[in-house]
Amino acid sequence: MRINFNYFLSLLIVLFAQLTFAQESKMSGKVTDMGGLPIPGANITAKGTTNSTQTDFDGNFSITTKKGQILTVSFIGMKTVEIAASSSMVIKLGESSNDLETVFVVGFGTQSKKKLTDNIARVTAKDMENVPVANFQNAMVGKLAGVQITQINGKVEGGVKLRVRGVSSISSSQEPLYVLDGMPLINDNESGSAAPINPLISLNPNDIESVEILKDASSAAIYGARGTNGVVLITTKQGKAGKTKISLNTSAGWSEATNKMSWLNAAEYAELYTEASAYRYGADDLWLTEPGGVFDGYANGKDWRTGEVDTDWQNLALVKGSTQEHSFSISGGDSKTVFFLSGGYNNTEGIVRGNKMDRYSYRGNLDHKVSDKLRVGLNTSLSKTNIKRIGSDNSFATPLQGVAQTPLAPAYLDDGITPNNDTTLYYNFLMQQFNGNWDANIFRTLMNTYFEYKFVPELSFRTEIGYDNNNQTEEYFAGSLTESASTNGYADANAIQSDKYSINNYFNYNKTFKEDYKLDLVLGMSFEESARKRQYVAGTGFPSDDLQTVESASEITSGSSSRTKYNFLSYFGRATFSIMDKYLIKGSLRYDGSSRFGASNRYGTFPAASVGWIISQEDFLKDSNFVNLLKLRGSIGVTGNAGIGNFASLGLFNGSSYNKQSAINPSQLVNQDLKWEKTNQTDVGIDFGFLNNRVTGEIDYYVKKTNDLLLNEPLPGTSGWSSLTRNVGSLTNKGFEFVLNTTNIKNSSLSWKSSFNLATLDNKVTALPGGDIVAGQNIVRVGETISSFYIAEYAGVDPANGNALFYKNTLLPDGTLDKTTTKTYSEAQRIIAGNPYPNLMAGLTNTVTFKNFDFSLTFQGEWGASIYNEAGKFQSSNARYRDNQTKDQMDRWQNPGDITNVPQARWGRSNGEQASTRYLDKTDFVRLRNLSLGYTLPKTVTQKVSVDRLRVYLTGVNLLTFTNYNGYDPESSYDNNGDSNIEKGIAFYSAPPAKTIIVGLNIDL
Amino acid sequence: MKKYNYRIIITTAIAISFIGCDDNLTINPEQDITTEIAISSPSNLQKILNNAYGDARSSALYGGGIALASELIANDGDLYWDGTYVQPNQYDEKAILTDNSYVQSIWLRAYKISNQTNIVLDNLAVFTDTDDKNKAKGEAQFLRGLVYFDLGRLFSKPYVAGAVNSQLGVPIILEPVLNPAKITFPSRNTLEEVYNQVILDLKDAYTLLPESNSVYATKYSAAALLARVYLQKGDYINARAMANMAITTSGAALTGTFAKAFNNSENSTEDLFAWQVSSQDVSSNDNNVFWAGEDFGGRSGNPDISIEDQHFDIYDDTNDERNNFFYEADNICTTKWKNQYGNIPFLRLAEMILIRAEANFRSGTTVGRSPLDDINALRNRSGAAALNSVDLATILMERKRELAFEGFALFDAKRLQQNIGSLPFNADNLVLPIPLREMDVNKNLVQNPGYN
Repeated sequence: MRINFNYFLSLLIVLFAQLTFAQESKMSGKVTDMGGLPIPGANITAKGTTNSTQTDFDGNFSITTKKGQILTVSFIGMKTVEIAASSSMVIKLGESSNDLETVFVVGFGTQSKKKLTDNIARVTAKDMENVPVANFQNAMVGKLAGVQITQINGKVEGGVKLRVRGVSSISSSQEPLYVLDGMPLINDNESGSAAPINPLISLNPNDIESVEILKDASSAAIYGARGTNGVVLITTKQGKAGKTKISLNTSAGWSEATNKMSWLNAAEYAELYTEASAYRYGADDLWLTEPGGVFDGYANGKDWRTGEVDTDWQNLALVKGSTQEHSFSISGGDSKTVFFLSGGYNNTEGIVRGNKMDRYSYRGNLDHKVSDKLRVGLNTSLSKTNIKRIGSDNSFATPLQGVAQTPLAPAYLDDGITPNNDTTLYYNFLMQQFNGNWDANIFRTLMNTYFEYKFVPELSFRTEIGYDNNNQTEEYFAGSLTESASTNGYADANAIQSDKYSINNYFNYNKTFKEDYKLDLVLGMSFEESARKRQYVAGTGFPSDDLQTVESASEITSGSSSRTKYNFLSYFGRATFSIMDKYLIKGSLRYDGSSRFGASNRYGTFPAASVGWIISQEDFLKDSNFVNLLKLRGSIGVTGNAGIGNFASLGLFNGSSYNKQSAINPSQLVNQDLKWEKTNQTDVGIDFGFLNNRVTGEIDYYVKKTNDLLLNEPLPGTSGWSSLTRNVGSLTNKGFEFVLNTTNIKNSSLSWKSSFNLATLDNKVTALPGGDIVAGQNIVRVGETISSFYIAEYAGVDPANGNALFYKNTLLPDGTLDKTTTKTYSEAQRIIAGNPYPNLMAGLTNTVTFKNFDFSLTFQGEWGASIYNEAGKFQSSNARYRDNQTKDQMDRWQNPGDITNVPQARWGRSNGEQASTRYLDKTDFVRLRNLSLGYTLPKTVTQKVSVDRLRVYLTGVNLLTFTNYNGYDPESSYDNNGDSNIEKGIAFYSAPPAKTIIVGLNIDL
Repeated sequence: MKKYNYRIIITTAIAISFIGCDDNLTINPEQDITTEIAISSPSNLQKILNNAYGDARSSALYGGGIALASELIANDGDLYWDGTYVQPNQYDEKAILTDNSYVQSIWLRAYKISNQTNIVLDNLAVFTDTDDKNKAKGEAQFLRGLVYFDLGRLFSKPYVAGAVNSQLGVPIILEPVLNPAKITFPSRNTLEEVYNQVILDLKDAYTLLPESNSVYATKYSAAALLARVYLQKGDYINARAMANMAITTSGAALTGTFAKAFNNSENSTEDLFAWQVSSQDVSSNDNNVFWAGEDFGGRSGNPDISIEDQHFDIYDDTNDERNNFFYEADNICTTKWKNQYGNIPFLRLAEMILIRAEANFRSGTTVGRSPLDDINALRNRSGAAALNSVDLATILMERKRELAFEGFALFDAKRLQQNIGSLPFNADNLVLPIPLREMDVNKNLVQNPGYN
């Protein structure tokens, strides 16, 4: 055969030219959401190339590529779609909820959920927006496996404890590290009283886009010395390119206590105390009830016999509260610059009389691409929080101590306005509001700025500079009618300026080798310095109750100022390597130095490693319709805890005085060997996704061993010292975590999703060379959970004589405990009786949308914890003191043969009010944490008035609580030792949390 | 677009940032000085001593805590405890638990003072001036003797005069602890050893201390305290000698009226030693907190400790100023602790006169002055009619009238072997328990009988 080669060649050239021409044609399209609204700023990349573009304002794009080329279309928060290129494509992106492509913030970088070898829990703005609480921590309750979030009690500014995978430290900090947009936050309680103020109360929860909680060592070890208690990464919202979006949210609601207790009324009080007196002084002694007797004294001229006075002190203390929240945000931008601006106002009137909070907040986030190589950004926020405070739980001035007052005493004098402080048993708390004032103002400034430079597409460098300023002033005044009457008034002012700056510098190298081998390297350093200053002054003797500042004091009784500082210098590196998107390996190393440690132990090394195997990428599962994801992962690593005093290793003397002459006081014993507390944590887990990812979840098991505990070890007092911070002892936390997300129904009009999480916790102290540490009713003992209750065991009442009985519990020769009873308390040995930490926690959230309605509800449950009521000895002591009693005390023993649990009433005589299991109670509970119902008006209606979205909603917090607990609430605990690590699970006139119902309106323009 | 030379900018930034923060990790405290500095100069050692005085004045010890324990444990109806605090209530009920935090505070604070005095005594070499050195040594020994005396009285069975007192006392620690390596786990010394140490310290203090020393311990303070210690031991000869020494050579004089002996912001003429309280010492005067009406700084609820009718049986003359040294705040309060910022008289001349009278009477002597004259001197000052004769009972009754509510009740009852209610003077529950925390930490300690 003969072929004209030239002809053929020319044909080929023509053809090729044509082909080439066809390959490089301009393809255009539009990207919208499922509802057809354009998505500006979406990324379109020709797969396997660097050829990419972005959508414009109207969602349109064009890209020069060959027909049929696979395009990857992605946008933050949306599902990534792959589509073959054609002309006039219309690409609809669905929301990426429950999506494995979700990108997690991991600390100095991001990682897709799918490739994560860590255990990280995450909540997003969407999960939190329906929980109208003043602090973001409370909005996450019940939504994170293995994270226990507990508010100390019902005060609006009250502290919140967030514990990640149990308690890992006895004497140093148990708080996680909070990081906002890459910047470690100040998280020191600066309350002027013993009752803590939540240091993060000044953050507006509406500004938060997502919160990632790094739970295992593999994720947290990049924060090295401060990773042990978990790391909470907060990411604030950022604008999206396209149409400027204006969102308004306004809501108002009402609140009340989740629970009230039952107290004796006047008649019951008189009956019980008359009986108690008769025991001691004989029934003939009518000193209480005779005319002009003690009861007449209480009644202050009113007749208690006829019920003229019957004060319900609890109702004066626990009042109806309210909340209001108004916020707006404006966000948007173009392909180079995006921005987010927001302002918010929150007003919460607490359920405890006199307690309220106002917060004004502003945030501005800006991100700008200077060029393809350089990006810069600036996030700032300012807030002012004003809190009207009330006394700590251990003060007569705190409202809830009002329940101790006798119902025979009127609350007010005859004028009905002036609180009666003349005939009450104790100081009348109403006086504090009437004749006093206590204000806290918190000013918080957060700023962080970053520069990111791409040397080459694979290599970039990022600098972040953060600044956090927490400025708090508390002013207290108590006038001439208050507890400070003897000094003619008292005022103090307490100012604190804390600031922290941090610098992070790191390189990121990201390279794919031969398509299947992907390497991601991070290498950097950070430096952080925290300083704190405090000024305090107090004075007495005020010319008038209208002059309430220290300036008017006739005598300055106390004053001080102080400065302190600490810093951290750290180097870190991380390598993530994946092979064929199947085999994942990660290793990280952090080298931390801190001024807090002695020169010989200044630095610590914190390594971690993890591996993952995505089984579902293997050939045998790759095409399965049932299994979408199956990943095995395991990690091991070391984290630290540096939450101790700034100068804990030094031997110190501080200034003091006697006789108005200066003195120096031995304040701390030297310990040059002090070093980092280290935690080794192992985690194995499975991530799964079945049935087209309608069922996804995680199962984890972890073991967290903390060694070299920084422990305030008790010393023999004969040494002149009571404790020393030492590295002794160890403890272990271990548990299972289980997360299951399901899409139960999904069709065009109805969707129903569920999210369930469950975690177990087993905490044990494994070594404690110094022996037991007992603080109050709690003990730290080897083999037991930290802070276990250690008290005598109550054995009820002797039917013969009404004596309270206790089990002896002395150790018998055969190793068992002597369960015979005794009426002599000192013969009863203390036993371990439960602990304040739940061993099982669960949360269940259901979200349903039906047409324009949306509905969600979250249940939360905790099992295994107990609370000891330290006030039981006053409140439920069969009339031992004069305090009003809980109603159940009417069941007291009266006659021989009576079978009851309440001993005989004996005025001024001990009979069962000593610390015992009588006042210990299990707090197992299930709570309807949150319920919300919303209705979005149809777009056809709202667009007529240029509104994109208008939603009305009703939402509630803590609506129902199912529990057998006898006290106020499982979340009401003693705030006077809110910061003590050992004395936990104690209630003492502690306010219950609020039950809140709110109606609100969202408007997007 | 304009071309910036980013690489240079970035490289420079990196270079600066990585090397810029070298060695910022050394930060010194600004509110504390280190141990090395604290013990290096005479003036710092004197400041440690001043702090030890402040610790002694703290509410745990001589700012009210010891007196509270003594008066309430000895209460058999003179006083009415109406407060809500559990710890004093346990005293009043004679049912003290081993975790009583007031008891714990007495223990911890006393040993903290012991350690501070030991620090001073161990570093006397830094003094160059002999007078300063002697004064510091004397004051340190005065304070150390004082706290061991009260530890011994509170935590041990009563001292039996003339016998070998081998009952358990408290551990005696004479070495300073400024380093964890120095911590010991001591057993309890005998009460005899404790008294021997107390007397040794106070005798040294008496020798070394100056005659005048501002409001701090003087030679006469030491003499007066020694008199008290000897009296407690039943050593009347030495008690008489030291009391007479304090009376005759100190220059102190009874105040013109009984009232002038109390609630003073400056020491009175009869104070041989008083604890200083000023308006800068908020809540440092527990005598006031528990004994005063709330309008005068007492706890709200008026007053935690009120005086019952039974107490008034001890007065024999309605004109006796001491009989009327009370005021009403719902219940009857003693006027002794009315001023919340008033000094707390500790070693009053009146006590020395009473010791001398008792010791003279017991010995049948009239050293210094006759017991009758001594007693009448006190009666005269308070406007009570003079007595024609005295016996031991009247002397002891005068002592009660004069020293009521000042913390003598329990120690006098034990010394005089008097019952408290139906409890014998040497009952187990009239002795404080070794604090539970101490028993937990130090396995070498033996608990007092009657406590678990």
